[in-house]
Amino acid sequence: MNPALICLHEDALRITHPIFKFAPTGTKAIYVWDDEYLRRANYSLKRLVFLYETLCDLPVDVVRGATRTVVMAMTPAMLYVPATNNPSLLSLFAGISPATPLTFVDDDIFAVMEKTSEARRFFQYWSKVERSAFLHNGGALA
Amino acid sequence: MQLLPKNFDNRESLTDFVAALAPWAAGGPSHIQGGRQSAEKMLARVDPVAYGRTRNFGDGKITGLSPYIHHGILSLNEVRNHALSRCGEPVQITKFLQELAWRDFWQRLLSAHPEWAWDDIEPYKTGFSASDYAGVLPADIADGKTGVACIDAFIKELIQTGYVHNHARMYLASYVVHFRRVKWQAGAQWFLHHLLDGDLASNNFSWQWVASTFSHKPYLFNLENVSKYFGRQVDASPQNNQPLHASYETLQEQLFPNLSRSL
Repeated sequence: MNPALICLHEDALRITHPIFKFAPTGTKAIYVWDDEYLRRANYSLKRLVFLYETLCDLPVDVVRGATRTVVMAMTPAMLYVPATNNPSLLSLFAGISPATPLTFVDDDIFAVMEKTSEARRFFQYWSKVERSAFLHNGGALA
Repeated sequence: MQLLPKNFDNRESLTDFVAALAPWAAGGPSHIQGGRQSAEKMLARVDPVAYGRTRNFGDGKITGLSPYIHHGILSLNEVRNHALSRCGEPVQITKFLQELAWRDFWQRLLSAHPEWAWDDIEPYKTGFSASDYAGVLPADIADGKTGVACIDAFIKELIQTGYVHNHARMYLASYVVHFRRVKWQAGAQWFLHHLLDGDLASNNFSWQWVASTFSHKPYLFNLENVSKYFGRQVDASPQNNQPLHASYETLQEQLFPNLSRSL
């Protein structure tokens, strides 16, 4: 079994994402160019070109194949994935997790909610985050 | 499993390579380039104070950052921190921060309610039920050949660049759902196909907001509004935009006759 692996996806394509500090130092990072996933998403060519240009800027391997197949072939002891709310991505990674331990890593926060109850309209939400939104790092490190 | 190349002689060869990888993908590349370097150049140009004053205008100081934020190339935190460093007093950039906050809000909602991405969150408040709306986007809209000059101009921009000013997106969504009575889901799918920043939460919840399935009333616009905000960018003449050339009261009666009758 290999050491840990970071698998980036289309919602988290930057080297300063917290996942690179969260995973053990030196953890290999990949992006899987998953034809079937992208075809199902029905992206236009301009979206795919923008995505590929972004990948070329990143110091990660771009591997073509089915996400589950690629990850399983690398047999990582632990898989780190940037947290996402994209149901299609979640379902991709759900297919991996029974066999490989998987940890989702949250991005930096924008703002801290002062109350945890759900805000259904924007201005309910804004009233709960306004103070934090005006602070550097959302006040998270203050 | 195949390791893909990351070095290309030029953008054209990269585009050809991607087109060969995805022969099913339609269209050509946008002039907007991906990557962290492009994102940093765009971020450096942001004027968050002017943004607050001018963002609703077609030639306003908008940022163009959304494709980079959507892909996580820039984080909301990083953009906020940069904006704070570019203003005298944080209160000067309230509108800018609120626009970042809208994205955070939509993301939180989708995380809490993934089923809301494609379901009507609330009933339409237009006097019609969901079954009164067409499920498929008409071809003239998809092709930008509606005959309504400003709408066709915005669609052309969507198809060619994958980026449309937020205010124009609201016009397009309102035109699709209310003027043509098409389900918001069909419009949302169309946008996700084209937009470089096409994001399930921001896109779909914004369509629902316009449609009134996630707001108190439908979002409407008329030609006078287009002329005020985009008169320098598109043909906003009455003769070439007839369906939009009316007062809000008239449009309300034309588009939502059941509401008028129930008053």
